[in-house]
Amino acid sequence: MSLVNFTTREITCKIVYYGPGRSGKTRNLQYVYERVPEERRGRMISLATQTDRTLFFDFLPIDLGQISGFVTRFQLYTVPGQVYYNATRRLVLQGADGVVFVADSQARQLDENIESLQNLQSNLLELGQDIRQLPLVLQYNKQDLPSELILTPGEMDEALNFRGAPSFPADALHGAGVFESLKATSALVLRRLAAGVTE
Amino acid sequence: MTPVGQVLAQWGFTRAVDVMSTAALGAGIIASTGEMARLLGQRPFPTLSHEGERFGIFLGSFPTGRGPLVAFVVYPLGTSSLGIVQLFFEHFAADLQEASPKEPATQRVLAADFERDLTDSLNALFGR
Repeated sequence: MSLVNFTTREITCKIVYYGPGRSGKTRNLQYVYERVPEERRGRMISLATQTDRTLFFDFLPIDLGQISGFVTRFQLYTVPGQVYYNATRRLVLQGADGVVFVADSQARQLDENIESLQNLQSNLLELGQDIRQLPLVLQYNKQDLPSELILTPGEMDEALNFRGAPSFPADALHGAGVFESLKATSALVLRRLAAGVTE
Repeated sequence: MTPVGQVLAQWGFTRAVDVMSTAALGAGIIASTGEMARLLGQRPFPTLSHEGERFGIFLGSFPTGRGPLVAFVVYPLGTSSLGIVQLFFEHFAADLQEASPKEPATQRVLAADFERDLTDSLNALFGR
């Protein structure tokens, strides 16, 4: 849940990158970390296994600057994608203001994508949140792979985007679609916050 | 801070540590141990502490009129101790509970130019 501090004029929001294992969630944060100016980002923290698989979460705070007189900060988190870590995944999802669902565009990963999206819905339900009420953006990652291996963004939409959420093709390894996904999610989160904070 | 790691206020030599990252990690500890407690069929641990070579950390949850909050203390072992931290925490939690408003927060409008600022900030940060 967004934190609006009227005394210090600060807004803090939490965005969670969700999706199946090896879909590119951590890579999204690494790219943002590499590209956002140093004075606008904090340290990136990764709680990972020895083989660099996310164990608990990755965390990256970024500073959007002043918006309407409020210093606005986003805390970006990733969840562990591996099925085994569902309990920790649910913990990271707690208090999320928006979700970027990072799907793997490889055709053979379609079932994993669907399962992970269903898992997102059920974890949100357990936390008392309705997926339909939460700002959600879909990112179809790995679109740089050979076309015979992947599904097109249209086909991905057909399979996953039953809500008609904003969706973006991406190649997180080289950065395509990373900022577009984050920008769209940030905008959805802040617009929702602005609409909800009324006099 | 809030239980999900959003920093509300900080005091002391906070520039010596990365407060935002520390808070996120602290929230992770609270969340994971809370879940462990649930699996053990008991209420979440109200306080948690670890001591290292030079510093100790203390996490204490407490209720307020506006929901639960967490005090996260990093203290130097040479000049302080867990007992002192616990004592101050109890006073602090009681004072804050008494001072916290019971009625819901008054909601205020963000400025009308919110959208323009938002677009400008996002474009400036993400460079497109």
